[in-house]
Amino acid sequence: MVDLLSLNEVLLESAKEIFETMVFMDLSESTDEGQDVEGCALLGTITFKGALEGCLAFCCSTPCAQAIAINMLGLDTTEEIAEEDTCDAIGEIANMVMGSVKKRLAESAGNLEVSIPSVVSGHKLRNNLGEGARKASVRINIEDEYVTELSLLYHENSN
Amino acid sequence: MAKTLLIVDDSATMRKIVMRTVKMSGLDFDKTEEAGNGVEALEKLVAGPVDIMLCDVNMPEMSGTELVKEVRKLPDCESTKIIMVSTESSQELIDGVMADGANGFITKPFTPEKFQEKLSPFMN
Ligand SMILES: [Mg+2]
Repeated sequence: MVDLLSLNEVLLESAKEIFETMVFMDLSESTDEGQDVEGCALLGTITFKGALEGCLAFCCSTPCAQAIAINMLGLDTTEEIAEEDTCDAIGEIANMVMGSVKKRLAESAGNLEVSIPSVVSGHKLRNNLGEGARKASVRINIEDEYVTELSLLYHENSN
Repeated sequence: MAKTLLIVDDSATMRKIVMRTVKMSGLDFDKTEEAGNGVEALEKLVAGPVDIMLCDVNMPEMSGTELVKEVRKLPDCESTKIIMVSTESSQELIDGVMADGANGFITKPFTPEKFQEKLSPFMN
């Protein structure tokens, strides 16, 4: 129904749309395969169900999340930002990117019902959905400074 | 005429972005209030109706679609204009919430121009 390659494209285009219009940060696909999401410390996730069922996740480091939150809120870069606000911003990134993904998949996957986003912080976080799940993911460079990962783990429902 | 605004969204970040975008769109409100979900919004509306409510759809406690139905039961809020602001873009959902009494729909991501277009008809 949906192939992984086009899903990667959908993820990248969705992220670009959101970052350009709501975050005002430049974003490009990271071509360096070996490049790791350094200390993935914040994971914003949102689940969805329908013909596709699974979870979208955006993973980034704490400094990257802070930079995103500062940009979204239009704050001064020198201003301190509370952890709560940083988490909230990353949750909203997951929410908006999911909205964009959902719109792009409407033709092939129909309407997907989405959850409320949630954010976890920790160390070496991973988006996981158990056995048999397929995963599309893109490495994204933000402002040529941060490497992040946007992934979509899913099962296809046959009925 | 003095206008009042209520911004309803479960994300504090998004409420701030919405408020900033309203300002950038050149629309002027005398009083702006915020609520983090439908239940909170209803409490505020019962305490004092507003002219325009900008309302998210996906929220915990009470979703935006449920909130629209509840607001339309309040006689004091009969003239309150409700504009949904959501990442949702399915026509079915938009049609449903408009039938329930919403007056407009803005999808995220949005621009100040979009706010200007959707809100200015209700500013007089
Ligand atoms: Mg929401």
